[in-house]
Amino acid sequence: MNLFRSEEHIERWLDGREPGGTIPVAKLAELAEEWWGDRLAPDWRPHTFAQNQAILDGLGLTGDFWRLG
Amino acid sequence: MDQADIELRNATYALFVELGRVPTLEETGVAVGATASEVEAGWQRLHEAHALVLDLPRAAIRMANPFSAVPTPFRVHAGGRDWYANCAWDAFGICVVLEFDGHIETSCPDCGEEIRVGVRDNRPDDESLLFHCLVPAVHWWDDIVFT
Repeated sequence: MNLFRSEEHIERWLDGREPGGTIPVAKLAELAEEWWGDRLAPDWRPHTFAQNQAILDGLGLTGDFWRLG
Repeated sequence: MDQADIELRNATYALFVELGRVPTLEETGVAVGATASEVEAGWQRLHEAHALVLDLPRAAIRMANPFSAVPTPFRVHAGGRDWYANCAWDAFGICVVLEFDGHIETSCPDCGEEIRVGVRDNRPDDESLLFHCLVPAVHWWDDIVFT
C-alpha cells in the first residue's frame, strides 16, 4: 500500500506482477477519513464487515478487487 | 468482542497517543485495573478480532492501526510528534485520528525518490500522486504485515 509518482512508476515496480488497485491520492485521503475517523472515539465499536464494505462502495471502490469477502 | 475488551482496546489506543509509543502491559494494566497477564490475554483476543496486531509469539503490539509500533517507510509528522504508519493509507489515517494537519514522508518504491505530502484538513497538498494496493481486499488480513 504505497504512494507512487505515476502509473509508469507503478508498472515498473510491478515488474510483471498482477496489478492491484490504483486510486488517486485524494481518493485515498477520503478513504482514510471514512475508515479511521472513529478510531479514537470514546464510543468506538468494531466495524462490521458490512460497514467496511459500505465505506469502500460509497467511495466508488467497487469490483472484485475491493470486495472484502 | 465484549465490553471489557473494547475498554482495553480503547485504553491501549489512548495510551499509545498519550505516550507516543506502545504502552507496556503494566502501563495498560494500571489504566484498566488489570494485571499484566490479564492485559496480555486481552491483547491476544483483540489480535484475533483484528482490533490490533501483535508481533507473535511475543505479546508485543506491532500495529494499533493506523499507528505502527515499529519504524516503517511511512513517517508522519502531526501534532508536534513523529509517528510511523503501517502504509500510505494509514499515514493519512494518523492525521485523521489525531485531528491534526501534518505531513507524510515516504519514498516511491520504484525509483526511491522521496515523497513528501502535506495534509491539511485531511486532504493532500499534492494530488498528482497515486496509491497502489497490491493485495485484493479479500486477502488483506491473510498477512496484514505484508499487506
